[in-house]
Amino acid sequence: MAMSNLNARRIGSVAGLLSPATLLVLGSLVLPMLTLLRYSFNAYDPIVLMRETFTLENYLRFLAEPYFHEVILTTLAVALVSTCGSSILGFPIAYFLARTQSRFKSLLVVLVIFPLLVGNVVRAAGWIALFGSRGVINVTLMKLGLISQPIEIMYTDFAVIIGTLSVVLPFMILTLQGVIENVDFSIVDAALNLGASRAKAFTRIFLPMIMPGVLAGFVLIFILCMNAYATPYLLGGPGYKMMAPALYDQISSAANWPFGSALAFILMAVTVISTLLVTRLTTRRRR
Amino acid sequence: MFHALIVLLYLFLLLPVAAVTYVSFFDSQFLSFPPPGYTFHWFANALDQADFVSGFLTSTQVALVATVIGVVSGVLASLALVKFDFHGKAAIKVFLMAPLLVPGIVIGTALYVFFLQIAQMTGYNATRSMAGLVIAHVMLTIPWSVRLIVASMGMLDRSVEEAARNLGASAWTAFWRITLPRMRSGIVAAALFSFVVSFENLEVSVLLVSPGNTTLPIAMLQYLEWSMDPTLAAASTIQILIIGALLLISDRFVKLSQVV
Repeated sequence: MAMSNLNARRIGSVAGLLSPATLLVLGSLVLPMLTLLRYSFNAYDPIVLMRETFTLENYLRFLAEPYFHEVILTTLAVALVSTCGSSILGFPIAYFLARTQSRFKSLLVVLVIFPLLVGNVVRAAGWIALFGSRGVINVTLMKLGLISQPIEIMYTDFAVIIGTLSVVLPFMILTLQGVIENVDFSIVDAALNLGASRAKAFTRIFLPMIMPGVLAGFVLIFILCMNAYATPYLLGGPGYKMMAPALYDQISSAANWPFGSALAFILMAVTVISTLLVTRLTTRRRR
Repeated sequence: MFHALIVLLYLFLLLPVAAVTYVSFFDSQFLSFPPPGYTFHWFANALDQADFVSGFLTSTQVALVATVIGVVSGVLASLALVKFDFHGKAAIKVFLMAPLLVPGIVIGTALYVFFLQIAQMTGYNATRSMAGLVIAHVMLTIPWSVRLIVASMGMLDRSVEEAARNLGASAWTAFWRITLPRMRSGIVAAALFSFVVSFENLEVSVLLVSPGNTTLPIAMLQYLEWSMDPTLAAASTIQILIIGALLLISDRFVKLSQVV
């Protein structure tokens, strides 16, 4: 009796402690998402904007219109290139941070987090200053005599990819650092002592050990790239074809909520499916 | 050789931040490199921009309120997650991280249509008020609060609180005098981090702002649509300084390298 009383009190306090945070996420995330899902099956109407019904026409429209195929393919391509690029650029820093004994390590980690928290708009402004036709890069290249006229960097795929890559690079470094810190380096040393070349120890011992963590990082960063809004909008120009800006356009300018809602779920579905596909392919090859 | 590569990569990482700071000192109306000279004039000009000032005030207010609500509910949830073992604990943890897993622009869209749906039913339109932004930002701060506070409590020794209880302290006294002070570093880090996450958020907020109720990142985005000039760079530099200071302070309380 006393035992069950204690249990009831325990359950009561757990529920009491958890309820504010849980209810806040429920009310401000789950309910709105369910509303959005329901809206994606409604129909657009030029006069009343939205008619309540149950139709797949929004999803079918996405499949039918070549414009949106281009949007999703561009999004996938930018996300893939940015993710791979950030892993190549991020690996050395991550390795260095994981292995260093420097007393400045903490400061060096803060330096990685810092650009992340400064915000995407500020960083995009920085890239615009560098990329503009009279910006640092063009003027320097002209001074060096490498080009005679400013080259177009703004509003190109290159600008969007560099911008996106630099947005996700801190996340990539922090993820890889965590993975490398968990590696038992005595195994790598053993391989080297037993006569393996450095390259062999790296590819046969070190890489397989970090692969699962790297893959998890890849997925996280790929998702972030797929959802980028400010960077493609500012560096790619208003017409740049990526999913997040297209979704914003449908809701705010076109006021087509049903189609916009469908785009939101298509974006999430494509992200989930492509990450599952990549994970499946890479794990199968290793087996 | 390896160290040179590391330095180069750090330069790339910090390049856009450095570039925007550099441009804010240009003594020219436009963005043209190299500048004819340098000046502090644009900082005064940025502070004269009504959009930036009101955006800054809105962002600060929203971030403060969201931080308080988010951290308090984060502390309570963390206590439950660290001090008790119960059924479904792992599921609750994942659930509280959900705001990090759903794309920001999708969260913003969902809240926008949800608020308008509520407006249709009750007549109260949260997309035209600061309350809508606060609700959205509270949700964004919860995963970070829980993560940072749970991480800092992981190292706590539960026996000290039990000792206090055995020596006759009430549950409340034991919490107030023993547990809470030892959670301090986690709470401070969570508060500073939540503030920054809310302050710089763009994707979730972009549909929830209205004229006169715009946050600083969105005011800057709207300005950037027309032009990138030293005034915007100066506003960015001010933001960079504030966030840099907050980050260094929070790193003193919880080593950010261990939790992010």
